[in-house]
This record gives sequence, structure tokens and C-alpha cells, in this order.
Amino acid sequence: MVLTHNDIQSILKIIDAAEHLDEIEIVHGDFRLHVVRNGNGSLGAASEAVAQSAVPTATALKPTALPTKPATQPAAAVPDDVVAIRAPMLGVFYRAPSPGEKPFVEVGQRVRADDTVGLLEVMKLFNSIRAGVDGEVVKILVDNGSMVEFDQALIFVKPGKG
Amino acid sequence: MPSPPFTRILVANRGEIAVRVIRACESLGIESVVAVSAADRDSLAARLATRAVCIGPAPAAQSYLRPELLITAAQGTQCQAIHPGYGFLSERAQFSRLCAKEGLTFIGPSPEAIEAMGDKLSAVQLAEQAGVPRVPGSGRIEDAADARDFAQRHGFPILIKASAGGGGRGMRIVRREADIAHEIDAAAAEAKAAFGDPSLYVEKFVERARHIEIQVLGDSHGNVVHLGERDCSTQRRHQKLIEEAPSPAIDAKLREELAGAAVRLARRVNYVGAGTVEFVFDADTSRWYFLEMNTRIQVEHPVTEMITGRDLVVEQIRVAAGEPISFKQSEVRFTGHAIECRINAEDATQNFAPRPGRLQTWTAPDGEGIRVDTHCFSGYLIPPYYDSLLAKVITHGADRQQALQRMSAALADLNVTGVPTTAPFHQQVLVHDDFRSAKVTTRWVEETFLPAANAERLAT
Repeated sequence: MVLTHNDIQSILKIIDAAEHLDEIEIVHGDFRLHVVRNGNGSLGAASEAVAQSAVPTATALKPTALPTKPATQPAAAVPDDVVAIRAPMLGVFYRAPSPGEKPFVEVGQRVRADDTVGLLEVMKLFNSIRAGVDGEVVKILVDNGSMVEFDQALIFVKPGKG
Repeated sequence: MPSPPFTRILVANRGEIAVRVIRACESLGIESVVAVSAADRDSLAARLATRAVCIGPAPAAQSYLRPELLITAAQGTQCQAIHPGYGFLSERAQFSRLCAKEGLTFIGPSPEAIEAMGDKLSAVQLAEQAGVPRVPGSGRIEDAADARDFAQRHGFPILIKASAGGGGRGMRIVRREADIAHEIDAAAAEAKAAFGDPSLYVEKFVERARHIEIQVLGDSHGNVVHLGERDCSTQRRHQKLIEEAPSPAIDAKLREELAGAAVRLARRVNYVGAGTVEFVFDADTSRWYFLEMNTRIQVEHPVTEMITGRDLVVEQIRVAAGEPISFKQSEVRFTGHAIECRINAEDATQNFAPRPGRLQTWTAPDGEGIRVDTHCFSGYLIPPYYDSLLAKVITHGADRQQALQRMSAALADLNVTGVPTTAPFHQQVLVHDDFRSAKVTTRWVEETFLPAANAERLAT
């Protein structure tokens, strides 16, 4: 069975019509639909949404249309035994909460999925980047303060409980 | 050689117009950075630009429509200016304002000019102040006698509209005096039922309308010039399909009138950049009325470039940098005739349904008097997220007939496999007597051409 655009529209309509439903997650094979109602658009909500979208990119999901000859930032080759934490949007990457402070993570450090590993600034709005996976930081690919593109690999993590 | 107006420009658009802007940058010795969504990483624009930057996921709402991402991308790549193309953020006053605040030059008019023209009411008021007529309309009418007075002054047909209206409800076309009374009653009842308000007004109805627009260009030194008209009467559901210049429906005197009106309006808002003033032209009476002004480069700008030999995108970039327009009004010459067909990835036999997919082959025509603006290539995957425009085929000839001949030949040479295109539709329109004799009005495709074409297809 394949879910069509119309199926998804119907699902959204049903959810929209339900009075006491704020959040729902539907998993069907590879398909995952996550709907949150009444996002209030505050800074907190924005960072939250970003953090959530960072989870699937950091785990198994690869971008669907990998260019044969990428014209944008060359994709860093991701070794088989590591997971790449990717930029959830274009922005300026910061390794520490503010200048002069200690970086969120260093190579060799263990991280948990919920840990913040960096910040992404888009016009003075800071979004935290979560690890999305438990493991050990093995490589940091981007310099502090440099612009990163959407979906660019930032940090390699070797997954596993320590 | 004078120094380039900028050293690096961010192209905040996609498709053929991104390619067009990159080429204009190249001709000026300016580096280009194109902002792409994840779906456009491998686009022609991304390959041609000095650099491509991926700003977000495929849906435009998460990429091309996000001002803050585009500005961050421009700043992160040391661009001095942003070219918005058409569509997306090109007519958002807020974006223009934000660029200025962040120290970037928006290649387009001031936020004030965008706002003045973007608001329909304010645009119409400015047009009236500039002595540019709009379609005659009444205030609220009380009864059939008011409508009768209006019709006597402006002639039939008239259009009865609901004051609270929209979406065509409560709208009635009245062609003769005997029908006024009962049509008013019917429209009032419909308006009451639909909007809870029976009040009505009437407008002059242009039965046989042509769409004629004037290209203007302004700079920050107070110069405003026009580059003649484009006739875009071949439309379907208000989407332009074929454009040409000059218009086969107007003469030199009318051209001067329309152009004069457009220039007056542009001056009124201190217009800087390329803009288009659109008019409704009544084919029966040769009267014309202001429709709206578009404060950006238009899809169909190449037909104007073909008959004037001027590069409108290059001029846009120059005037945005504070340079004067590179030519005077007296230096604008119109040579021959140009026509443009928009080639969309749509199936014209299926109600123009969009058909994205992979282009197995793409071979564009080439030759004397032929220009093709496109972002397509063999193997290109047309993403389903954006509009279906694949290419603009433009031909130029000594006269209309030669331009049309060249267009028919060019479309025959356009070889596309993998997705259906609107090229066969264009081929049929080009040989139609109504089109050849310039009788086409804005409702012709829907009311005359398509019903006949569909009936013919069903019969065979």
C-alpha cells in the first residue's frame, strides 16, 4: 500500500477536525507523519521544531535527491561507522553558547541524542542543533562562525552507548 | 571598460530566470551566487553560477520564500546585492526593506513603490492622479435607474457586481437596457444570500479585451523611459501563454498614449528599476484602462529585448547600483516583431495538468532570429514543487509574419521526450486564423479555441 497525496490530505483533515488532539505521530513503513497543532511561533517553538527535524536527518534518513554532481557544498564522505549531524537549515554555525565560552562538544566527547552540539544563527535568531544520536564525537567538520548550507554535515558521531 | 556595478550578486530565484540573471551578471563581470533549495542542487543555475548555496528543503515556503535565509546566504557569501527575479519575494516590500536594513542592495524598486503598486486601491488612486484612466465604475447603486444612467454614459455591456463580493458571485453581465431591471433584482438577491449584503455597483464590461502592457525603466537620477508595449492577449485563466511586441492591435498614436500614461505613473512613485504597467484594451472601441503595475522583471521581457536590442536585466542591475539608464528615450528604436511562447510541462489535452518528471531528451531550437531562455537539459528532473515553465521560445523577424514562421519552425525543432509540453498547443494556435488576424482576446483560448480543439479531438 502506498500513501497518496490525497490520503495525507484526508489524514490532515481528520486531525484538523478533532477537537482535543494536539499532537499525533503516524508511522507506516518508511513513512512518518508528525503533526503538531497550535504551534505558537515563539522562539522556543521554533528551536523545538528545528531540534525535531534534526533527529531524522542525523539518523538513517539520507536526502532523497542526492545530486550526481553536486553543485553546492561538496558532500563530505560519511564513513560507514559514523552518523553525520547535519544542518537543519542554512545559517552561521557556532560551536559555543557565546564567544569565549567552552564549546558544546569536543572530539572524543560522548553525547546523548538530546544534547545540544552547536547553534545555528539566521539573522540573530539562534537555533540549537541536537546530536540526534547517542555516541562519541569523532570529527567536527565546520569551523566556528562559518556559514553552513542546508543539510551540510557538521559533526560525525560514532553511535553506541558508552 | 567601466568597473562592474557590484562584485557579487545573490540570485534569489530558480529556473530559467535564475539562469537569465546569472548570464546578465557574467556579461557585466559580476560573480553570481545562486541560492537553491535541496531540489535544485543540481540545476542549471547551480552549475552556471560562480557558487551555489543550498538554503533549505524543496518546498518554497522553507527555502525561496524565506527572506532571512536569503539574506544570511548573501551575507555569508559576501554579496552586495540580491536579484529577486519574478515571483517568490520579488514584490514583497518587506524583503526590499529588510535588504536595505542589512546593508544589501535589493535589485528592484523602493519598498514604498512596491507597496504603492501592490495595494490595488492605492495603485488605482495613483493612476487617477497621474491621469491614467481605469475601467469606469459607479459608486453604490440604489436601483435600476442608476444602472441605466451609467450604461447611457459608458455604453453596454455593463457588469453588475456585489459591493461585498468576490469569486464571481453576484456578478451579472447586462448587454441591453431591457434586461437591467431583472438582472439587478437577481444580483441583489444573490449578493444578499452569499454575503448578507445586497448592495451593488456597476462597471463598464470590456467584452473583447486585449492585454497590453508597457515596459518602463527608471533610475535614481529621475529618468524614466519606456520600451514600448507587449501584447499578452493569448491567456488561459489569466495565465499568459503567448506574448508579442509590438501589439498587432494598436497604432503609433495609441502606443504613445499608453506609453505616456505608463511613464507618468512610474514617475509618480519615483520608480527605480524595471517595471510593467498593464492595461485592458477594448478591441471594439480602442479605449484603454489601467489594470495594475508589476514592480519586477516580467517573464515575457525577452520580446521587448528582441525588438529594442536592450538588455533589461543588465539595466536593472546598473540602476540598482545608482547608475543612470544607459540610453535615452530618443535612442529607443523598435526593429521588427518578436513573439514568445511559454513552454510548460503540462498536458494541454488534459486541462493543462502539470506533468513534472525526468526529461529524457531536451534539444532546444537554434538559428537566426531564435532565442531560448531555459534551465532544462537532457536528464533534468523537473521537480514537482514549483511552476511548470520549462522554457521560453522567442523568435524575431522583420515583421509579424516572419516572426510567426520562425516560431513554427523553432517549435518543430524543439525535441522533448519524457514529459508532455505545451508546444503542440502553441503550434495549433500559431496557425489559427483568429490568431493570425490578431482577433484574439483574453478569453479566446477558453471560449473559442479550446472548445473547438476538444470537440475535434473527441470526433477523431
